[in-house]
Amino acid sequence: MTESSRLRVPIKEGFFTVPDDPAEAPKFLCTKCQTCGEYFWPRRAICAKCLSEDTVSVECEGRGTLFSYTFVHMPLFGSTNLAHMDGYGVGQVDLPEGPRIQAPLAGKKDDFQIGQQLRAELDVMREEGSRDIVIFRFRPVENQA
Amino acid sequence: MKNVAVLGVGMYRFGMWSDVSNATMAREAGMMALRDANLSFKDVQAAYAGYIFAPVMAGVRTMKEFGLTGLPVQHIENASATGSAAFREACLQVESGRYDVVMVLGFDKMTQMIASSGANTAPENMEDAILPAGFFALWATRRMHERDMKPAHLAKIAAKNFNNGALNPMSQRQAKETVTVEKVLASRMVAWPLTTMMSCPIGDGAACVIVGRADLAKRLQPGRPVVRVIASDLQTEKYAPGHLFVGPIVGPGQMSIDTSRAVYEQAGLGPKDMHLVQVHDAFAIEELEYYELLGLCQPGEAEACIERGDFELGGRVPVSTDGGLIARGHPGGPTGLAQIWETTLQLRGEAAKRQVEGARNGMCHMMGGGSVCVIHILQRQ
Repeated sequence: MTESSRLRVPIKEGFFTVPDDPAEAPKFLCTKCQTCGEYFWPRRAICAKCLSEDTVSVECEGRGTLFSYTFVHMPLFGSTNLAHMDGYGVGQVDLPEGPRIQAPLAGKKDDFQIGQQLRAELDVMREEGSRDIVIFRFRPVENQA
Repeated sequence: MKNVAVLGVGMYRFGMWSDVSNATMAREAGMMALRDANLSFKDVQAAYAGYIFAPVMAGVRTMKEFGLTGLPVQHIENASATGSAAFREACLQVESGRYDVVMVLGFDKMTQMIASSGANTAPENMEDAILPAGFFALWATRRMHERDMKPAHLAKIAAKNFNNGALNPMSQRQAKETVTVEKVLASRMVAWPLTTMMSCPIGDGAACVIVGRADLAKRLQPGRPVVRVIASDLQTEKYAPGHLFVGPIVGPGQMSIDTSRAVYEQAGLGPKDMHLVQVHDAFAIEELEYYELLGLCQPGEAEACIERGDFELGGRVPVSTDGGLIARGHPGGPTGLAQIWETTLQLRGEAAKRQVEGARNGMCHMMGGGSVCVIHILQRQ
């Protein structure tokens, strides 16, 4: 498979993992405060809640609950993927650990419902030579590809 | 805030002025404000320049248009709240007693920014891949889930602002006939449920406010009511669970609640004392939420108030009387100063066809990048 042999590179380092196995969901690179227990995405050195410097890097599973959503009728900026030309969903997703993440959603407007469970996946935005530049997005669990 | 007044206001109408420079727009707005104040540039002791998209040192360079007098010039940038934040610094300087007359100048050419960013197809930050309207639409979807809001409520706000803009010669959008709810709903969908007519346009423009000691105002323009700045506050976000660190464009609603409470306390007034209000209505959903966050109505009442016309000209407390960001326009740096321009004219009784009768107290609210909130209360003396 040429698809899986291509190197996948995140649109920006430091936000999510890119697993070697394309079937595996990406994880979110988070911070946990050792003093008050709050989780943050993306990573940060100082706790935004209690200002403690005693924080550790953790990875959170790529799943969550849909808090709100929309469908944007414009191409995803910076994408040359034809699937993004007709528009894209956008959601606010709450990870079980607490962080709220804004991200593109896979699917059409009528596929989304506040409160539904979602799973993260990687999506190719554009090709750069032998590499695929990928961004994460969420997909409703009932609607797995 | 004691003894601080708006001495003069000026604007270069917002619009798609691709062939007009920042220097030209800023000079015209500035000279208009100086004439309005009955002052010369020689009288200006300090200046604050606000812009988002112009190159480094654009403020100092633009100030040279008025002449080289050696005055101190500072740059302020706070995204959409740039002009409001610059105005606040000028007010604080006058209040401190260091200066008697300070110029605040805001300008921007968003058309140029859009043209230059089009050349670069890779977003600089991850969240830049998503259209800003998308983030505001998320607020609207959540509201529809929690309350009885329909897209028609948002359309009614947008129609109001278009129709107010048609009464303001400085408004970017000038509707030729009355804009209806149906027309707004039928305009192109941007990010469901927000349509193009529920969203502010891009544009270029400039605005200027001369701030000074209130006792000077009466001496400079004896026949005119003095418009004082009686409260000013600027706040950034406080952490709460669910905080958005990436793409924080909308910002926590709590920030508007906290900042408005601070200015009400400073002024010794409450939301019921406001005769007109300007808000950061880049998208109609924002204006709806700010009705509640600024205390103009109780939580959950916004939809009923919109249906009654509470915030229209002639209503209980008119909002976005000059057309707001949706119609008057939102180039960036000058936007917050356009709110001061409008509120000053209203409190002087010079707002012509859109005049709010007997207006004595006016509030101006701006958000910047979802991360800062600036509010001022102006009062006719």
